[in-house]
Amino acid sequence: MIVLNEQDTKFKYEVSEEPGGENIKLCFACGLCTASCPVADIDPEYNPRKIIHMVLLGMRKEVLSSDFPWLCTQCYTCQAHCPQNVKFSDVMKALRSMAVREGYVHPSFVEQIKQIDAFSQRLRHQMVSSILAQKSEEMKVDLAKLAEEALGKVKV
Amino acid sequence: METKDGLVGAVLVVGGGVGGIQAALDLAESGYYVYLLEKSPAIGGVMAQLDKTFPTNDCSMCILSPKLVEAGRHLNIELITYAELKEVSGEPGRFRVKILKKPRYINVDKCTGCGECAQVCPVEVDSEFDQGLTKRKAIFIPYPQAVPSIFTIDKKERPPCVRTCPAHVNVQGYVALTSKGKYKEGLELIKENLPLPGVLGRICPHPCESKCNRALIDEPVAIANLKRFLADQVKDELLPQVKAEEKEERVAIVGSGPSGLTAAYQLVKEGYGVTVFEALPVVGGMLYVGIPEYRLPKRVLGDEIEAVKDLGIEIKTNTPIGKDLTLDDLFAQGYKAVFIAVGAHKSLELGIPGEHADGVVHGVAFLREMNLGKEMRLGRKVAIIGGGNVAIDAARSALRLGAQKVLILYRRSRVEMPASDEEIEAALAEGVEIQYLFAPTEVLVDDGRVVGMTCVRMELGAPDASGRRRPLPIPGSEFDIEVDMVIPAIGQAPDVSFLEGSGIALSTRGLIDVDPITLATSRPGVFAGGDAQTGPGIAIEAVAAGNRAAVSITRHLKGEDLRHGREMEEEAKPPDLSGLPLGEPRKPRMQMPAIDLEKRRSSFDEVALGFTEEMALQEAKRCLNCGICSECLQCVAACKAEAIDHKMQDEIVELDVGSILLAPGYESFDPSVQYELGYRRFPNVVTSLEFERILSASGPFQGTLLRPSDLTPPHNIAFIQCVGSRDEKHNRPYCSSVCCTYAIKEAIIAKEHSTIPLDITLFFMDLRTYGKDFDRYYDRAKDRSGVNFVRAKVYSIDAVDGTGNLVVKLATEDGRVMEESFSMVVLSVGFQPSAELMRLAKKIGIQLNPYGFCQTKPFSPVETSKPGIFVCGAFSAPKDIPETVMQASGAAASVSTLLAPARNTLIREKKYPPEKDVAGEQPRIGVFVCHCGINIGGVVNVPEVRDYAATLPNVAFADANLYTCSQDTQEKIKAAIEEHNLNRVVVASCSPRTHEPLFQETIREAGLNKHLFEMANIRDQCSWVHMNEPEKATQKAKDLVRMAVAKARLIEPLRPLSLPVNHSALVIGGGIAGMTSALTLADQGFEVHLIERNGELGGVARKIHYTVDGADVQAYLTDLVRKVKEHPQISVYYNTWIVDAYGYMGNFTTDIMRYRGRVIEKINHGVTIIATGAQEYKPDGEYLYGRDPRVLTQLELEEEISRGNPDTIGCDNLVMIQCVGSRNGKRPYCSRVCCNQAIKNALKLKEIKPDMNIYILYRDMRTYGFYEEHYQEARRKGVIFLRYDPEDKPEVSQMRKDGQYLLRVGGRDLVLGEEVSIEADILVLSVAMEPSPEAAELATLYKVPQNEDGFFLEAHVKLRPVDFATDGIFVCGLAHAPKSIDESIAQAKAAASRATTILAKDYVIGEGIVASVNENICSACGICEALCPYGAITINRERKVAEVNETLCKGCGTCCAACPSGAAQQRGFRTDQVSAMIRTALEA
Repeated sequence: MIVLNEQDTKFKYEVSEEPGGENIKLCFACGLCTASCPVADIDPEYNPRKIIHMVLLGMRKEVLSSDFPWLCTQCYTCQAHCPQNVKFSDVMKALRSMAVREGYVHPSFVEQIKQIDAFSQRLRHQMVSSILAQKSEEMKVDLAKLAEEALGKVKV
Repeated sequence: METKDGLVGAVLVVGGGVGGIQAALDLAESGYYVYLLEKSPAIGGVMAQLDKTFPTNDCSMCILSPKLVEAGRHLNIELITYAELKEVSGEPGRFRVKILKKPRYINVDKCTGCGECAQVCPVEVDSEFDQGLTKRKAIFIPYPQAVPSIFTIDKKERPPCVRTCPAHVNVQGYVALTSKGKYKEGLELIKENLPLPGVLGRICPHPCESKCNRALIDEPVAIANLKRFLADQVKDELLPQVKAEEKEERVAIVGSGPSGLTAAYQLVKEGYGVTVFEALPVVGGMLYVGIPEYRLPKRVLGDEIEAVKDLGIEIKTNTPIGKDLTLDDLFAQGYKAVFIAVGAHKSLELGIPGEHADGVVHGVAFLREMNLGKEMRLGRKVAIIGGGNVAIDAARSALRLGAQKVLILYRRSRVEMPASDEEIEAALAEGVEIQYLFAPTEVLVDDGRVVGMTCVRMELGAPDASGRRRPLPIPGSEFDIEVDMVIPAIGQAPDVSFLEGSGIALSTRGLIDVDPITLATSRPGVFAGGDAQTGPGIAIEAVAAGNRAAVSITRHLKGEDLRHGREMEEEAKPPDLSGLPLGEPRKPRMQMPAIDLEKRRSSFDEVALGFTEEMALQEAKRCLNCGICSECLQCVAACKAEAIDHKMQDEIVELDVGSILLAPGYESFDPSVQYELGYRRFPNVVTSLEFERILSASGPFQGTLLRPSDLTPPHNIAFIQCVGSRDEKHNRPYCSSVCCTYAIKEAIIAKEHSTIPLDITLFFMDLRTYGKDFDRYYDRAKDRSGVNFVRAKVYSIDAVDGTGNLVVKLATEDGRVMEESFSMVVLSVGFQPSAELMRLAKKIGIQLNPYGFCQTKPFSPVETSKPGIFVCGAFSAPKDIPETVMQASGAAASVSTLLAPARNTLIREKKYPPEKDVAGEQPRIGVFVCHCGINIGGVVNVPEVRDYAATLPNVAFADANLYTCSQDTQEKIKAAIEEHNLNRVVVASCSPRTHEPLFQETIREAGLNKHLFEMANIRDQCSWVHMNEPEKATQKAKDLVRMAVAKARLIEPLRPLSLPVNHSALVIGGGIAGMTSALTLADQGFEVHLIERNGELGGVARKIHYTVDGADVQAYLTDLVRKVKEHPQISVYYNTWIVDAYGYMGNFTTDIMRYRGRVIEKINHGVTIIATGAQEYKPDGEYLYGRDPRVLTQLELEEEISRGNPDTIGCDNLVMIQCVGSRNGKRPYCSRVCCNQAIKNALKLKEIKPDMNIYILYRDMRTYGFYEEHYQEARRKGVIFLRYDPEDKPEVSQMRKDGQYLLRVGGRDLVLGEEVSIEADILVLSVAMEPSPEAAELATLYKVPQNEDGFFLEAHVKLRPVDFATDGIFVCGLAHAPKSIDESIAQAKAAASRATTILAKDYVIGEGIVASVNENICSACGICEALCPYGAITINRERKVAEVNETLCKGCGTCCAACPSGAAQQRGFRTDQVSAMIRTALEA
């Protein structure tokens, strides 16, 4: 049982003060963000609408300590479609920096995430280039193999 | 036109949708002359396009059509269709408006709407009415029942092909005719401007094709090839020869080329005598001597010249004009005018050494000699100099004549080459070599004969005067080539030496100088054109000159001004691509078949074989019809009424009006801007309006539910809500108010229409069925029709395979991401004002809201920002039909108030012909059977029923009509009555309830008493209920017609009483609605009695302090009360109860009790308006209401806020629960105002204490229309909205904690999926609204119905929202249904408007069908008196008979059924009449 008035009801105002968070309170929970999210496609637990809702309800600790803000791929699909102009991707960034500020994660974690982001961008760049290089011939790019090769070079 | 007080008693209503129509009817009935302006060709608006209407599932067209006809027939309504408001000046009461009437190209007085024109029109474009799902013709009527029933030609500016063609040959016209196989008509059209279609079809370089818009999709239409096809296909002698009367004057034409022949052709058609003088031995000029046979066979040219000659032209060959025969000689011989068109046959010289050697032949001379069949010496290696068509012609000819090598030298590159691409390609294919960037510098001569050439390489420099890059020799690049023949073909010039001394001025370029518009030379009567005047050009330019000269010569001969009205061609404009079907699939251009290459090299056989018929038809169908109407003039030929006038122009009309009412409607959001929704990418994604058409019996699939991609019935359909609504991203943040309801309606109808089991899922965010009885319909859709409602916003719609099925992707409320496949998807698109409308509003100074809708104020819902200009319908906010109709009547009331002194000053009176006396005549019955489109005709064999009717005794005439209710059919009926001397009329169609008055009016206009009419309902009772048994349905229709005819034989004229009207009103209820109605009537000068049960005025509004928009309700109320109290025409009765009421429209009497029964008074009044309001439901212990002082209703909260109770406005945690007492088993309706009320109070509290935690627990947030803004604002301010499920309602309990006694609200959070609770300081219940307790009493006293919930039930929920079935009694405000203050005000004004239509008249006409008593057999038993619900029949104790009060009698028939002796008889339904029907029913 969550007692709503005992939550941090100021949290939503704080998030909306962060750059990118200004429209968060406009959310009317239509779920378009969740429906459009590629992460939600692979992880049924990942639910942008719920994250926003938790922010609005003031569930500060649960939000900032959770993995949710970090799992966002920053693809901006939700942001591009939200009928209320809630900038979900930007909200996630705001939550990340709040999480760091408030000591929920170590700053080095952020560094690692940055590296992953850069790596995945490189990986994408590489794979798309491979496809583009062969676009006029019969496309025979083995994406899985390319990915495997690329990932093999990373020390996990 | 100034009238009393300087006010004009006429009104302009802008917009012919249902709102505009209602306002127009109200105003016209209230004594004003109305101009009803509509921008499209017919009134009806969007309602005409709908299939059924919510929530009664009435056929939209069926309920609208009588209104259309009524407006169309009304004596005081003038329809101005296909017209736009342009300017408004003046002031309230005295406006002057400027209206642009677009040309219909149809004379409206002559058009009968017969449709013959549309049959022959070859142009098909998307039908706007069917939302592009079907085609209509360029000449069209928007829909079958359209009013007025007049055709319109849809014509844009002339298409680019026609404008580009120098001769303005009507390309689109003949291409369109070709596409329909009308070859003869097509050729005829060409021949208007071009006598040589076969020739030009072969040789024209077709500039038209370069401008063809089809190129934007794939390639231009093969226009020239189609022209050739027509010429080849049709024999000239099949064409009618139209010639004007022969005239005396003769014209001489010098030169028989294309220009001369065309001029001759046009002049001879004008009736003039024409002689053509030709210097050569052959006719045709350059066409003969300049073009090789393989391109233009001499036979083709000869035949076409022969056809021209056959018109009566004399052609003298070998007759040059010059020394032997001068221009003066021609005039001396009697020619009155001369046209010089001698062409340009002189070759330009290279100007290099050796040019005059043997073996150098200039191109034009070469071709001339070849074409004249002269002996020619040809070289083996031939070099041709030049890059034009002459060069190519010479090269290809040389090859055919046997040259071994043919080389073209051109000094520029391929890009600059002037010859047409097709020609160059053909030359190359045949083996001609082309060398670019080469120029000769010397012809090498040996022994006087050509042996070679010295050439130089060129490079391209800066562009020269022609715009092409100038070729420059590269120094030192000279080289020699070996050739034995050189053909220079670098250009031609006219030889005009013969004109020396003739008084004709030449230009500096050595060409004949003319006026470019008239082609007149410096010598009067002499004109010149073609190459001789312009220098070398293309044949079609010469043709154009011939046409131009013919016009000038005709004018010259008639002594008319040569220049008048003949401005030069307009400047080239950018193409008008609006409305073009540029999204069409690609269809490549037909390739011209040619003879094979071998044959081409060795013979002069024509290379191009011509299109086959199939190719021509396909090619012609590629035309996009850029001009829409192609001006093919087929309609002109088909129209027997001679109603078509293609030359009509825009017309400006100026009118004086006292007031303007804007009802211009809306347009739908275009969902193609949301790419992910797939609209226009996938054919099975349709908009809701398209789906209405798909469902409609008059729609593209005749009402069968099919999906567009493959015309199969869908198995499942998804409805996607809020497309273009509640969407900040697309600047549509407001709710469109009606989409939820129309989607549910479409879902239910689709299930009913489907031939296979159909599943429907409706995806929504909040379901907004907030209107009266709407939730019942929603529940029915869910529970009875099995429509699946899923709360989710759909993210994307995709086609996943080739089946046409679509996958929608969404996330459910509990967070699951789902993909579901559907056969079809319907997008519920929102409303928006059109850009055009916003421009108009700006121009006339009407203030708009941020989304472009008309701005109104909370307490003046029908007023624009400009005094004297009023608004109604979707232009002020998205709204449904009843709200529109209410607002329309409300706006009409405001107009009526403004113009009251000018009432009845400009109206016209109806003069009926005297009634024919049919007494003693044998019945002569006319029977009219209706197809009702396919509504009846699709099932019942209507012609068979008509033929059967004709066989029945006394039937003098029987006919069948497509739509018997359409306006033109009324004229047909009247004509038939006249022609066949009919004295009874039977219509077999639909419901008498909707249509009988219309037909009765019609026969009355024809001089028959309106009761000499019978109706058989063969739609509801035959085609609808027996739709799967057409034969039996037809048999039943015959039975019904036979019964109607049997009764018709016995019917007789009835004459209703005409009764004077008491001009005062009784208004019951002193709330905002009642006071507004009272004031609206009183301001027009009518006396009003206002009855209030309490000791003060104001009603429920006394407890409301502010609106959600922030307006001060108390200030408004105080002002309103003051106005009412001070108004000399209003008497207010406080503490007054109604104890009895009797009477009828125009003459009511109401007994009132005052001062607790001490005084009883009688009030006489003409109309009654019931505005008894509603009250807040007080929950009985629910959610601890009444048991815990912290639990309040919204009104109580509002009271506390206004009093500033610190415990309330200073609290930390406040919870609101919505739908308390609403939308449950006991009150299955939405109370409409509570969501807005909650948001209003939440916002007020946030304003007072911004950090207060406010939680609103809701089921659906129903902040319809622009209220959505406040919902958004509340979220912005931090109000938390939590949805609860009605099956799992919040629980409220009291609990002890830390020494406090807490109020705890608990429930399940549906997004988190967890139990949550709130410890509330204050709990506010948004309670239901209930009808006032006096409603039931008044319902009994005035004999008016209530719905199941106790709200008053209007006569028709769609189109009569303030009327009762009982005439003269109206309802408004909360007594009708829960609504906001501004809606109450609009409805109160509407009630006043409807009341005005009675009060403004001096007499009302009663019913004709009433009971009567045969006093001879009446025993005065009194049974009837006891039973009559209206108190209309009483026993006269003295005379011992029953007597009927005809004004009270409603004709219900109760007394007649009960009378034991049969003394009581219903007029129009006498026992003998009904028996006759039954007897004949049993006969068959």
